[in-house]
Amino acid sequence: MTYRLRFLSLLFASLGILTISRAQTPLDGLMMPKGEICVALMYEQGTWDRYWEGSVVRVNQNIGTFTRQMGMPMIVGGITDKINVILSLPYVKTSASAGQLAGVQGIQDLGLSVKAIVVEKTLGKGKLTGFTNLSLSTPASNYLSDYMPFSLGFGANELGIRGIGLYELDKGPYFRASYSYLHRGITEAERDFYYADGAYYTSKMDVPDAFLSQVTLGSWMFNKKLRVEASLTTVRSTSGDDIRVYSMPQPTNKVDVDRIEGFAQYYFGSKRSFGIIASYHHLFSGRNMGQFSGYGLGLTYQFKALK
Amino acid sequence: MRNLMKKYNYVPLLVVLFSLGITSCMEDLPRYNEFTGYEFSSLDPNAGQWKLVLHSSPEQIALASPSATGSAELLKELEDVKARSKNATAAQREAVAYWTNNPLVRWNEIALELATKYNLIPAPNPDGTYPVPDPTNPSKYPKFPYSHPPYTSRMLAYLSVAQYDGLIMAWHYKYKFKRQAPYQLDTQIKSAYEANGLYSYPSDGAVAAIASRDVLTAMFPLEKDYLAQKAQEHLESLLVAGIHVASDLEAGQLIGAGVAKTALARASTDGMKNAQAPKAISDSIKNAAKARFGWSWENQETPQRLVGLVPLFGRVRLWNVPNVEAIRPGPPPAPGSPVFQEAVSELKRYANTLTPNQRRIANFWNDGLNTYTPPGHWNRFAKEEVVANKLNPVRTARVFAYLNMAIMDAGVGCWDAKYYYHYPRPIQTIAGFKTILGTPNFPAYTSGHASFSGAAAEVMAHFFPGNAIQFRKWAEEASMSRIYGGIHYSFDASAGLTQGKQAASFAIAKAKLDNAE
Repeated sequence: MTYRLRFLSLLFASLGILTISRAQTPLDGLMMPKGEICVALMYEQGTWDRYWEGSVVRVNQNIGTFTRQMGMPMIVGGITDKINVILSLPYVKTSASAGQLAGVQGIQDLGLSVKAIVVEKTLGKGKLTGFTNLSLSTPASNYLSDYMPFSLGFGANELGIRGIGLYELDKGPYFRASYSYLHRGITEAERDFYYADGAYYTSKMDVPDAFLSQVTLGSWMFNKKLRVEASLTTVRSTSGDDIRVYSMPQPTNKVDVDRIEGFAQYYFGSKRSFGIIASYHHLFSGRNMGQFSGYGLGLTYQFKALK
Repeated sequence: MRNLMKKYNYVPLLVVLFSLGITSCMEDLPRYNEFTGYEFSSLDPNAGQWKLVLHSSPEQIALASPSATGSAELLKELEDVKARSKNATAAQREAVAYWTNNPLVRWNEIALELATKYNLIPAPNPDGTYPVPDPTNPSKYPKFPYSHPPYTSRMLAYLSVAQYDGLIMAWHYKYKFKRQAPYQLDTQIKSAYEANGLYSYPSDGAVAAIASRDVLTAMFPLEKDYLAQKAQEHLESLLVAGIHVASDLEAGQLIGAGVAKTALARASTDGMKNAQAPKAISDSIKNAAKARFGWSWENQETPQRLVGLVPLFGRVRLWNVPNVEAIRPGPPPAPGSPVFQEAVSELKRYANTLTPNQRRIANFWNDGLNTYTPPGHWNRFAKEEVVANKLNPVRTARVFAYLNMAIMDAGVGCWDAKYYYHYPRPIQTIAGFKTILGTPNFPAYTSGHASFSGAAAEVMAHFFPGNAIQFRKWAEEASMSRIYGGIHYSFDASAGLTQGKQAASFAIAKAKLDNAE
C-alpha cells in the first residue's frame, strides 16, 4: 500500500514547477509497483500583477493581473517495481486583465519521464533511497513561444537529468532533496532578427539551460490517509539576457525563480484508490519572471492493470 | 543490494549518452551576415562622375596628390604594410575577414544593431507621466535616442547619403591619381581579398569607416567609444589586408570626416529636433483634425501617453519628394461608414480565425520595439541583395542612399498623413478588441509599415529588377501583416502602400539621372 501512496505523491510533487512554464517531471522520491497505473487530472491557476524585469520589480498597468491556468492529464505506470514511466500533456490558457494583447490557449508540451531507484538502504529508524530520473518534453502544438508573457511555454525540447535523495522515518516524517539539470534546446520564433545583448540574424532562439534544486519536508498523518509537504524550490538559468526596460520578455531570457509551496493530499474510497490534492505556491523572488502565486487541485485514480 | 546495482548499472551510461547529445546539438547562432569578401561584379570606373547628393563637386573636399610610385615615402609605407600583414595577430586576421572588401555592409549592420538597442519606448514615471529622451543629456533615462521607425529611417538616410557622397569622391580621386594598391606595387604583399586592381588612393574603406563613425556618433552619442573602436579596427584591417597604405587611409579619413560634417549640418536643421512636439502643439494638431474631420486618435495605454510619437515628423525636410502634400493621400473613410464597417468586420474575422501563416506574417513583419524597425528590415534585405549581386562599395552606397532617402521620404509623408488625419486605431474604435501585436503610439492612417515597405520595394525593384516580384510581394505582406495583427484597417495599408510607391518614384527618377545607369 505504501507504494500506491508513494506513487500518487509522485504526481503531486510535479505541481511545483508547473508555474515556471511547463508541466514537468517528478522530483520526489516515490515509486509505484509493477503493473499499476495511475491516471490523474490536475488543475492549476497562478496569477501575478508584477514581474521582475531583470532584477527590478515592474508593475505594468497594460497587463494588470496576469492569469495562467492549466489543466493536465497525466498517466504513471510501473514498468517494474524500480522503474516508473510518467506521461503528461498540459493544456494551458493565459490572459491579462488589462491592455489589448490577446491571451492564448492550447496544448503545451508532451512530457515523458523515466525514473529508477539506484540506492535503497536502511539507516537508523528510517530508510534512505536514491533515485535518478531522465525526462524529455517536447512542444505538442505549434504554439508561439516568442509571445511572452502569454506564450504557453518556451517552445523547445527539454532534457532533464535528476538526482533525488529521500530519507523517510518509519513514523512518517521525511526529508527529500533533489538536484536537476535541465537542458533546453532551440525554439523557433516567427521573426528572423532579434536582440539578446546584441543582434541575432536567425529565427532560432537559444533557451537557457537551468539548474533546479528543491528541498522538501513532509510527513504522513492519520494512518497514512493524509500527507502534507512544504518545499523550497530554486531555478537558476545558466545563461540568458534580461528583459529590456519596459520591453517584452522573450525565450532567451535568464529566468530565475525562488518559490515556496505547500500541499496536502487525502486518500479515500475502497482500497484508497482515489486521491484529492490541493496545493499552494508563491514566488518570493525571481528574475525575468512574473511573481506568481496560485493554487492547484487534482484528482487521482489508481488501479492494477497487470498482474 | 548488489543485485539492485547490477540491475541498474545502465543508468550512468544513459547519463553519459544524453550528455554527449547535449553538447552535439549546441550551435552558434549568426550575429551578422556571414559572408566573406568577394570579387566585385564591376569596379565602376566612372563612379567619380556620378551625381552627388549633398555636394556639388567630387573635389569639394580637396586631396593632395599621393606620393609617387618608387618614392621613399611610399616605400616606407609599403614596408609598414608588409610588417603589419606578417605580424598580424589572430584578432587582426579575424577583423580582416569580418570587415570584408565591402565594409559598407558591416557599417549598415552596426547601424541596425544600434537602432535596435535604442528602440525602447519610455516607461511611465511613478506619477503617470512619461519622460522624454533629452539629446543634451543622452545618458539620463530614457536614454537618447529612442530609435523608433522615423528616427531610424532618418539615421539610415544620413548615414547612407554621407557614405555615398564620400565614395563617389573616393572613386573620383582613385581614377584621377591612379595609385596602385600595395599588393600591385610589391609582390611580397598579398591582398587578403580578391585582387581586383582597384586604385588605392584614397581608401574607400577609410571613407566608409570615418563617415559612418561620425554620422552614427551624432545619431547615437552614447556609442561614441564603441564606434571609435569599431572604426579603428576597420582602419587597421585595411593595412593588414594589404590593400592600402597609411596615406590612402589618411586621405580617405579626410573625405569621410568631410562628408559626415556636411550630412550632419543638414541634419541639424532638418526639423527633427522639433518633431517630438510638446503637448500644447500636439493638442492643437489633434483639435484641428477633430474640427476638420470629426474624429481624433487617442493613445489607449495606461497611463495614457498624452503626446503621440513625433507629431511633427511630417514637417521634417524631405530628400526627393518636392513637398509632403505631393504624397498625401485623400481622407480615410469616416468611422461608422460602410467602408469602415467592412474593414472592422475583416479585422474581427482575422482576430477569430487567424491561420498559422497569417500569424507568421504578422510576427515576421512586426518590427516593433526592440527591433531594427521596418526601415531596418528593408536595409537588411538590401544588404543581402548587395552581397548576392557582388556589388562594389560605391554601387552598394548608391543602393543604400536611394533606398534610405525614399524610405525616409515615405516616412515623412506617412507621418504627415497620420497627424493630419489623426485617425483612431482599431483598439479605439472597436470595443473590447484584442490584438496579437502591440498598437503603436501614433494614429492609424496611413500604415507606416505599408508606406516604408512600398517605398523600399520600389527602389529595390529598380536596382535589382530580377527580384522585383519578390520585393513587391514582401511589401504587400508587410502591409497585410498589420491587418492580421489587428492594429491597422485595410485602408491604412492600401493608402500607405500607394504613398510609399509615390515617394519612391521621386527617388527613382533622380537615380535615373545620376550617370550611374
